This record gives sequence, C-alpha cells and structure tokens, in this order.
Amino acid sequence: MDRLLRQLSQLAITVFGIVTVTFFLVRMIPGDPAQYMLGDYATEEALATLRAQLGLDQPVYVQYGLYVLRAVTGDFGSSVVTGRPALEEILFSLPDSAILAFAGLVVAVVIGIPLGILTAERQGSWSDMLIMIVALFGISFPVFWLGLASVLLFSQELKWFPALGASSGGGLLTHLHHLVLPAGVLGISVAAYITRLTRSAMLEVLGQDCIRVARAMGVPERRVVWRLALKNALVPILAIVGVTFAWSLGSAILIEVVFSRPGIGSMILKAVSARDYQLVQAGVLVLAVAVVLVNSLLDLAYGLVDPRLSTR
Amino acid sequence: MRYFRHPGFLIGVILLTLLLIVAVAAPWIAPMSPLETDLANTLAPPSAAHLLGTDQFGRDVLSRLIWGTRISLQVAVAVMALSLSLGMVIGAVAGFFGGWVERVTVSIIDILLAFPGFLLALALVAARGSSLETVIIAVALAFTPRVAAVMRAVVLTIKPRTYVEASRAIGMGTMRLLFLHVVPNSLPPVIVVATVSAATAILAEAGLSFLGLGVQPPAPTWGNVIADGQSFLASNPLISLSAGICIAVMVVALNLLGDGLRDTLDPQMRRSSGRVL
Repeated sequence: MDRLLRQLSQLAITVFGIVTVTFFLVRMIPGDPAQYMLGDYATEEALATLRAQLGLDQPVYVQYGLYVLRAVTGDFGSSVVTGRPALEEILFSLPDSAILAFAGLVVAVVIGIPLGILTAERQGSWSDMLIMIVALFGISFPVFWLGLASVLLFSQELKWFPALGASSGGGLLTHLHHLVLPAGVLGISVAAYITRLTRSAMLEVLGQDCIRVARAMGVPERRVVWRLALKNALVPILAIVGVTFAWSLGSAILIEVVFSRPGIGSMILKAVSARDYQLVQAGVLVLAVAVVLVNSLLDLAYGLVDPRLSTR
Repeated sequence: MRYFRHPGFLIGVILLTLLLIVAVAAPWIAPMSPLETDLANTLAPPSAAHLLGTDQFGRDVLSRLIWGTRISLQVAVAVMALSLSLGMVIGAVAGFFGGWVERVTVSIIDILLAFPGFLLALALVAARGSSLETVIIAVALAFTPRVAAVMRAVVLTIKPRTYVEASRAIGMGTMRLLFLHVVPNSLPPVIVVATVSAATAILAEAGLSFLGLGVQPPAPTWGNVIADGQSFLASNPLISLSAGICIAVMVVALNLLGDGLRDTLDPQMRRSSGRVL
C-alpha cells in the first residue's frame, strides 16, 4: 500500500515534468511559431493576432502557468485547423493506435523473449549466431522500409493481405485481416530488440553463483535455464518490455503512415504538415504519458514477480 | 588492439571505412549529379547508364544513394558529437556533485527518457520547420538524456575509487579531478552508448525524411529516396529497396561497432549499455 502511494506520487511528479518539458522544449529552439505557421508573407497584424490567440504575446512564465493550469483541467488547447479541442482529436484516434501498438507488442514479446532465452541457452552455437545475425538486421532496417517491403511481398506479389487502411466497415475478421501486416512488421522489428536484450539479461543471470551451484548439484540444464535463470531474469526482461514500448510507439507512427491507417501517428503527422503545433504538442504529451503509465504498471509487476522487491 | 580480435567489431570498422570513403569521394565516384533531372528518361529500369535506374524526375538513383552517404554520416557524427558532449557534462555534474543537483538532474533525465525519442524529434521539427540543422539538434536532444544517464552511472562507480580519493586528499581541484580522472575513465562505456545513438540517429533521420519532415527534397538523403520510390513500389521497387539496404548497411556497421566495444570492455557494462538500447 505504501509502495503504491509512493509510486502514485512519483507518477504525478513525472507527468508534471512531461507537461513542463513539452512546453519548454518547443520554445527552446529559436524561431517564431506564428511566423512558421503563417509563412513568410504573413502580415504583421495576422502574426500579432495568431500570437495573441496562441498566447505567445505574453511573458513565458505566464504562458507556462496558463498551460499547466489548462493541462490539469484536461484542456490542451484546440486544433487550429478543425477548431476542435486537441484532447478530443487525440481520444478519437487513440483506439486505432492502441490496437496496433498492443498487437505489435504481443507479437514482439511472443517472438522475442523465447528467442532471447533460446540463444542464451545455446550461446556460441550456430543457431545462436544465426538468430543474432537476423536480429541485428532486424534492428538495422528502418521499420517503415520493412513495412514497404512486406507490402511489396505479401500484398502485391502474394496478395495475402490488404496493403492499406484499417477497414472502417466490415466485421472483426476483416479488421484482423487488415491488422496482420502492420502489427506483424511492427512486432518483428521490436522483437529483434527484445531478443538481443533478453539474451544479454539471461546471460548475465546464467553467470551468477546460484546458477553455478544449481549446475554443480546436477540440476538438468533445461531446468536451470527455463526455471531458475528465467525466474531471476524476469525483472530485467520486464524492464526491457517497458523500454521497447516507448520505441514501438515511435515505430507505430511510421507504420501507420506506410499502411495509411488512422491513429495518433497519422493525426500528429497531419497536424505537423498543417503546422497545427498545439495539436502536435498535445499528441506528444499523451504518448509520453502513455509510456510513463505502462512503465509504472511494469514497476508494480516487478513486486509480483520478485518478492524481494515488494518489501523494499 | 584487442578490439580487432572481435569479428563483429572488425566487420563494423571495415564497413564504416568503406562508407566514409564513398562519402568523401562522392563527387568523383557518383556517375551523375544527384540533382540532375532528365524528364525524357523517368523511372527507367536499371541499365548500363543508370545501374539502379532513375526516379520519377529521371535522376540517377545510384548517384543519389552515393551522395546520401554524406548526409547520413554527417547526421551520425553531428548527433554523436552533440549528444556526447552535452550528455557527458550533464551526467558528470550530476554524478560528481551529488546532492540536490543530482536529484534535480536525475528527475529531468527520467522525464526526458519517457519521451519516445523519435516523437520528441518529430515535435521539435514540427514546431520549427525542417532542415538538416533542426533534424540534427532534435535527434541529438532526444539522445542526450541517454548519454547523461550512463555517464552519471559511470561517474558514481569511479567516484569512490581510492585514486580519486587520494587525488582529492592531495588537494587536486574538482575541475582537474573531473578532467584528469573521471572523464577519461568514463569514455569507453559512454562511447558504446554514443555508437548506438548514432545508429538510431540514422534511422530517425531516415524516418523523418520519409515522413517529409527531414532534410527537404530534392536533397539526396536515403530517407527521401525511399519516400520518392514509395509511389512506384509496384513498378520500380528497386528505388525504395536499394535505399533501405544502404541505411541497413550503415546501421549494421554502427551496431557491430557498439557490440564489439561493449563485449571487449568490462563485461559488467553489458547491462547498463543494454538497458539504454
């Protein structure tokens, strides 16, 4: 209970920090957003009006105070293009992105963790080498390129899966059919990371004294790796999943664009080209908060996985 | 050099050297100008004159890829230099001085780490328009907290060592101590992180260019070439595919370099450097 409270207050501080950072980062780089949004030929009056509308004519600390106050009440400004509240726009496209990110993460975990354990178990063997080379290429090809290549192969050549969209109509099956390729590509690209990181986490545990003792006592190797070592490596592996979640959100943006799927990524991109930067700021904020929430949940899970951590 | 006995490291160094040569020699080895259009000869299939064919403006794809090596290497080096210098100073100050300075810095680092790096870069480019400089600054800012976190961890392990205590005891000033003992000792693990950052920076730049937010067309960047080829994937797949392979070769090289350095260094570093991947 105490732990939960501490975690919640930590979470509040971090979220506040994220709000602060999104505010200042955008203002740190020189240049005038109003000028950028309206272009080079904007009149002085138009610039002044937009600056007033965005609150840019006020001192920075006033802007910051207002920004935080509004953020607390869930007001992240509104889209300059549609005029709708930014939060509304984001919540509208959140489900599509959440489905893609979740499906991708499931694929990544289901492939990545067992492969990581397997390669650690057979360190130095040819199967270890082969898997690690594939994983190296997996983290080295841009995810959007993998997406394009898979469209070329699976939609245009083999015609197994549709290349575009998320099927707004249609039943669950058509929806899943549209999800296979994007989630598969996202998942495989993230799986390459998870495999590499899981392997090093396992190797580290396998080098510990308790494992050496278990081996000396004649515990079968299979049991040593998949029961004893895995149990000890679960916390680092959970941490890996947390780290890759942030990474996969970034990749999901690119995947959404490649497959023309609706979602937060497509929304942010549209907002960027429309120079609708309040919407971009809000979108980035929401995704960063999502990362923090997922990592806090994982932090809680550490306690369940490793009883030593829950008493600390 | 013990590093060169590591096969991965060796392959990485060779690949990077080749890419560096291509980048430096681009004006001489590229068959044509990367910007020269030939509207009578658009989307041509591979031929003796155009080994990888031409794009929708009749530009020679191979020449664009060769010149693209320059921009990618430039991004990698600039991002590495920026995030390394900024991150090392921030991490060293936090780890060395301790107290409230450390607490504040660490919480700022933690907050910045919550942002998906690519998203952070995207937001910065969105607010300030896109150019090579903005892309470099944006990606470097996204990686600085990662370098800082590792630097701080290293400084914390070096600080209590006897030789540091001894130097302090004989009256060495804080700054001298930092530069004479702490910084040199922290270089190897920090360089590992920086190599990985450079690899990710290239992917991030390519991603931004692909979205049309990176270095603006018609500049020959690999991401731009992939974006150009996307509309002609069915008829001329070679445009996008070849550019992606260029990116992968450079990123593989940097990752091999990073893996090699990490394996050769203190095996204890395996975890801390793995964590920031």
